[in-house]
Amino acid sequence: MPRLNTKEDLEIMGKQLLFDRGKVNKTLIICGGTGCKASRSQEVIDAINQELLMQEMDSEVHLRVTGCHGFCEQGPIAVIEPGNIFYCHITADDARDIVTKTLKNGEVIDRLLYTDPVSGKKIRTESEIPFYQAQDRQLLFQNREVNPRSIEDYIAIGGFSALAKAIDSLAPEEIIRSIKTSGLRGRGGGGFATGRKWDECREAPSDEKYVICNADEGDPGAYMDRCLLEGNPYLVLEGMLIGAYAVGATKGYIYVRNEYPLAVKHARNAVQQARKLGILGEDILGSSFSCDVEVARGGGAFVCGESTALMASLEGKVGEPRPKDVHTVVDGLWHKPTTLNNVETWANIPSIILNGANWFASKGTKGSKGTKILALTGRIKNTGLVEVAMGTTIRHIVFDIGGGATNGKAIKAVQTGGPSGGCLPIDKFDLPVDFDVLYEAGSMVGSGGMVVMDESSCMVDVAKYFLTFLQDESCGKCVPCRLGIDRMLEIVTDITEGRGTLEQLDLLEELADTVTQTALCGLGKTAANPVLSTLRYFRDEYKAHITDNKCPAGVCKALIEYSIDPEKCTGCGTCKRACIHSAISGEKKEVHVINTELCQKCGICMSECKFEAIQVS
Amino acid sequence: MLHYVTINIDGADIKAPKGSSVLEVAIEYGICIPHLCHVPGLSDIGACRLCIVENVTNGRAAVTTSCTLKVQEGMTIRSNTDRIKRLRHNIAELLVAQAPNSRAIQDIAVRCGVKKVRYPFRNDNCVLCGRCVRACAELWHANALGFVGRGKERHVERPLNMREEFCKGCDYCIQLCPMTITPCDGPMKTGEEYLCGKCESQLMITEEVPDSCAWCRLGEGFNCGRYAGLKAVR
Repeated sequence: MPRLNTKEDLEIMGKQLLFDRGKVNKTLIICGGTGCKASRSQEVIDAINQELLMQEMDSEVHLRVTGCHGFCEQGPIAVIEPGNIFYCHITADDARDIVTKTLKNGEVIDRLLYTDPVSGKKIRTESEIPFYQAQDRQLLFQNREVNPRSIEDYIAIGGFSALAKAIDSLAPEEIIRSIKTSGLRGRGGGGFATGRKWDECREAPSDEKYVICNADEGDPGAYMDRCLLEGNPYLVLEGMLIGAYAVGATKGYIYVRNEYPLAVKHARNAVQQARKLGILGEDILGSSFSCDVEVARGGGAFVCGESTALMASLEGKVGEPRPKDVHTVVDGLWHKPTTLNNVETWANIPSIILNGANWFASKGTKGSKGTKILALTGRIKNTGLVEVAMGTTIRHIVFDIGGGATNGKAIKAVQTGGPSGGCLPIDKFDLPVDFDVLYEAGSMVGSGGMVVMDESSCMVDVAKYFLTFLQDESCGKCVPCRLGIDRMLEIVTDITEGRGTLEQLDLLEELADTVTQTALCGLGKTAANPVLSTLRYFRDEYKAHITDNKCPAGVCKALIEYSIDPEKCTGCGTCKRACIHSAISGEKKEVHVINTELCQKCGICMSECKFEAIQVS
Repeated sequence: MLHYVTINIDGADIKAPKGSSVLEVAIEYGICIPHLCHVPGLSDIGACRLCIVENVTNGRAAVTTSCTLKVQEGMTIRSNTDRIKRLRHNIAELLVAQAPNSRAIQDIAVRCGVKKVRYPFRNDNCVLCGRCVRACAELWHANALGFVGRGKERHVERPLNMREEFCKGCDYCIQLCPMTITPCDGPMKTGEEYLCGKCESQLMITEEVPDSCAWCRLGEGFNCGRYAGLKAVR
């Protein structure tokens, strides 16, 4: 590849690529993202490749393996252009049919089409699927257009033109002003105004400045940063370069957690390709602006997602936060001014530069602009990544996009923002996804995880889960976080095991407040949110555990007892055979009985029984 | 030449040398702020969180540790409000529940107003204040001690758990450790979670200056023991 020396070189390359691509008129897009990989999309890709070769169609069809499309529930998925035909749940055995029927003869294979769970009808094209229709996919849409290993794909769809525009015709101050007017706020969790951050970093006097992309995503149930970096690393890189130009940085780092090997690989590949093209390194696109980016792997600590801990880790020290009395925009990496933003924040930058600040500000609410990617998981029909405009209500996301509850159970709550966020009950579902509104309600948008819970989830157990997670992941440096979380977990464990008292609830609340106010870093300051929000909205459940010694959801093992309903039991003996503790006795075709002394409450009998005769009380 | 800024701590306007921390200035002027991990001459890490104060800017009071907060012109600090006292009480309570037999920790807890502890006692031998680690690294550049593990697993350990030869035998870690004073033989058992308040702290290696602290005289503050002869500026 020749080096691009001017803005025009980039445009010519883009046009040339588009022209070349126009010669091949059929494109088969297969998702090779994390979710689909887990549903064996690699086998499908190999089978299709082989089939194309065998039928000598490899020159007629352009096979594009892309990053995540978002509809992970239906994976592996494929889209065929032209025609926009959408196939889901493909297996390697379907490869021949797809190639011969659809690609060769243009027939649509009925059995691979998506069935709408609401109407029960088969849907033919991708654009008609309600899951996609209800979204506003500004960032995720680009994932399907780009092979994450090919910088040409990105340039062909107009990639790096925002960077070229910024360097060529915009002053750094203009860019910062534009980001400020756009109202973009940090997507990593804090929701700090990005423009203000950049401005402060630009104003800070120093000979060297840094930009960092924080891809140390570790919230349970969240994977949007992963899919952005895996699916379109060029977009993130472009955003970082624009940011570096705006704040005056000459060096950038992408800090990816080591548990995301594909993201590391794709980011490294993107950096190398961009360097070869002259989009990265010395004199970018022939201008006087130079900036290099390196990919650093994280060491596997949740706390390294905190900005100062991340910087310590980058410096080669132990990843522990330090006090932020002086902000990192002034005293950051190696004590130099540093702008650290989340993957999604960086990914939003190019479109703001291209489409203007007002375009971005037109989406969203008064305080939160643009779109947000949410990782929708839990007890709903359509799980996956969804991108919606800020201000969309939780109800719309859970019921319209997510398709409502599975198994016909009633949805009880949604947990937003991961371990730093909180649980919102169903009567708060009309709240919009908005930084300030969710914060007021005791939760937060956070990085965008959204775990939907139904009646079978015990909220005390949820609080216990997050406390256990945070206790493991706290660095242990400061007292409120290390000992405070430990004691909160001790109290919550007491409650779930039937030893709790009502005084402990007050102590729990006071302790949670102390930890929130006094902890050293963001992890500790938000660690009590799961406890505080469940106490606020589900106090009755806590009380039921303490005063009645009952777990209403039937989750906390110490408080439940399994029994067999004699009316429903047919004496089939399935439960007796399944019980590994030999706690069930009974003759064939007679009512069985559970010996509660032997019962270990594993719940196997309940899942095995076909007649719903096993009860929890 | 030293540059000075004027800051206000608990209503008193104080001329403070630029570059010093709020805690150092406060102690120098006889305003006692309890602290555990801060040792004069060593770097401050803000780990024990006992020295929290309110930093008031534009009417909003942010809670932060005074040991890591550098003085700035026009700063307003409140070290003894009800909110701070309550938070400090809760932190001291957490600490003393972890190491109830340490006289130094007991002493701090009692001075922070802890009489009864609401958590079951544990008998840890270390509260991870990091005094030893920093003294070893910063005063003697020996690095014979360091933190290992994270969260609940965090503990102080020799390099790779075996390199004893790093130690220069200065004994500084022992002198600074809040746990090395002969433990209290009082009734510090599970189920009897109260503090008698009779243990005397021997945390401060320098001599105490009697009758110097305004807050102590008023009976409200924390008898921290001013560091005799030590200036707030390093």
